[in-house]
Amino acid sequence: MAIVSLRGIGKSFRIPSVRRDTVREHVFGLLHPRRFEELRVLDGVDLDVRAGETLGIMGRNGSGKSTLLKIVSGIYQPDRGEVRVAAAVTPILELGVGWNPELNAIDNIYLIGSVMGLALSEIRSAIDEILSFADLERFANLELRHYSSGMAARLAYSVAFKAVREILVLDEIFAVGDAGFRARCHQRYRELSAAGHTVILVSHEPYTIASFCHRAVLLEGGRIAMDDRAERVAEAYLRLLGGAAPAVPAPA
Amino acid sequence: MIAFPISAAPRPVPARRPRPGAHPLGLVWTLVRTDFKVRYHGTVAGFLWALLKPFTMFVVLLGVFSFVFASDRHYKINLIVALFLWDFFAEATKVGLTSLHAKGYLLTKARFPSWILVVTSVSNAVITLGVFSVVIVAFLGLAGRPPSLAGLGFFILYLGQYLLMVVGFSLATSVLFLRYRDLNQVWEVVSQAGFFVAPIIYPLGILPERLHFYLYVWPPTPVIQFSRMVLVDGVLPSTRAHLFLAGVTAVTLAAGILIFRRHAPRAAEYL
Ligand SMILES: Nc1ncnc2c1ncn2[C@@H]1O[C@H](COP(=O)(O)OP(=O)(O)OP(=O)(O)O)[C@@H](O)[C@H]1O
Ligand SMILES: [Mg+2]
Repeated sequence: MAIVSLRGIGKSFRIPSVRRDTVREHVFGLLHPRRFEELRVLDGVDLDVRAGETLGIMGRNGSGKSTLLKIVSGIYQPDRGEVRVAAAVTPILELGVGWNPELNAIDNIYLIGSVMGLALSEIRSAIDEILSFADLERFANLELRHYSSGMAARLAYSVAFKAVREILVLDEIFAVGDAGFRARCHQRYRELSAAGHTVILVSHEPYTIASFCHRAVLLEGGRIAMDDRAERVAEAYLRLLGGAAPAVPAPA
Repeated sequence: MIAFPISAAPRPVPARRPRPGAHPLGLVWTLVRTDFKVRYHGTVAGFLWALLKPFTMFVVLLGVFSFVFASDRHYKINLIVALFLWDFFAEATKVGLTSLHAKGYLLTKARFPSWILVVTSVSNAVITLGVFSVVIVAFLGLAGRPPSLAGLGFFILYLGQYLLMVVGFSLATSVLFLRYRDLNQVWEVVSQAGFFVAPIIYPLGILPERLHFYLYVWPPTPVIQFSRMVLVDGVLPSTRAHLFLAGVTAVTLAAGILIFRRHAPRAAEYL
């Protein structure tokens, strides 16, 4: 049974040829009609994800992977098509921008946690675990503006992993953090997947896709150009980019 | 699409997990608490400093204008009531207008009712106004001129309507600000002019009667005038006046909700 089902998803962004972002520009621009360039990012995406499946998404920069994840997460609205998501989604996107720099780690955890749907009591009892997973206990009372970018990203993963609902949506997740933290993330990710969570994962790393996903799709020209076993898609992705395809290990 | 069998056997569905908006009160409380903390560095002294701002204004303006309006017995008390009501309006609209932009980083974390971000953004201004209201009523009581119970009730009603107007304004402008990035500057100019349009430093009576209607269209005016009437003069505004205020409130709030509902679903794309 499909837990996520996308039918004919289309999404365009209007890129103004002459950009007008202010009232002043609008007032003075009235004399010249505004021209837009239509940027078709997604153009008829059909995709089904089964419950418990881990799906990888690959594609070039700007091919619309993040846009697709945001549509699945309900953060963007598609222009066309039908989105059916039968369970709650936890997106982990755009790390490092999701903080109030004036607040310390604990208050930021409360903010993000309650936005993600945790009760205050749940957050209170999870604080220690979140900080220790991120290995940031010493920095609990430090304002986020003094965090290094890697530390902030670790905190973001840590909170999100704690708040995970049925479906986990990850964008370039394994790209940050040091080796030790990455290993812990991999471990946690495998646990979540083994516990039956559905995972949708975007990565440029063929090895990550091949080793963490059952299945993958290749996004190209606004559509799903390929939908196959993860390692095959990873190879096709490398060919697409014109690189030689090194042997990709089979999923563990 | 190429179909292929999934190798993994079906696995158990995970246990009940949190849903966005499942605990809206926890979210509201966290937003109010952290806003307060950021604004006042989490200290009572910081909060007292914020109260000091309208008081300083009061002292300065009093020094100048109490001579101009020396014949007005209630000038002082009228001035401070108006200054605090104005300060609430100026502060809450300024913060409300930029609220979605300032808290935009939360919009990409999960899908949740984003109007909560806008409505809670006025909380600091509400707290200041609440403290001031208690102080001014206590002061009037100590001065031997306590407002009547009915007067007090109406004062609270005006504050409630004032708040709803500000919320309506914030809902509309917070989504529009994402598209028109100099809206805050436009509003700053309007707001500055508005200080003089509202009868704060001058009694409304010095202006010709035919202008009054236009001044009353500016929302702070009726709230300030009516509050002065029930608190200071001890008289109730007419039913027509009350209906007018209720009408302005309803229109502002409804317009705010409509504009917000129209633009909020795409707010994240404009951040
Ligand atoms: N809010 C937006 N407004 C305008 N254009 C946008 C917006 N979001 C995305 N785009 C455009 O849509 C296209 C796809 O962006 P997207 O972030 O989905 O790419 P991506 O596949 O995730 O790329 P990357 O591999 O670099 O992460 C880009 O050209 C981008 O400029
Ligand atoms: Mg991306």
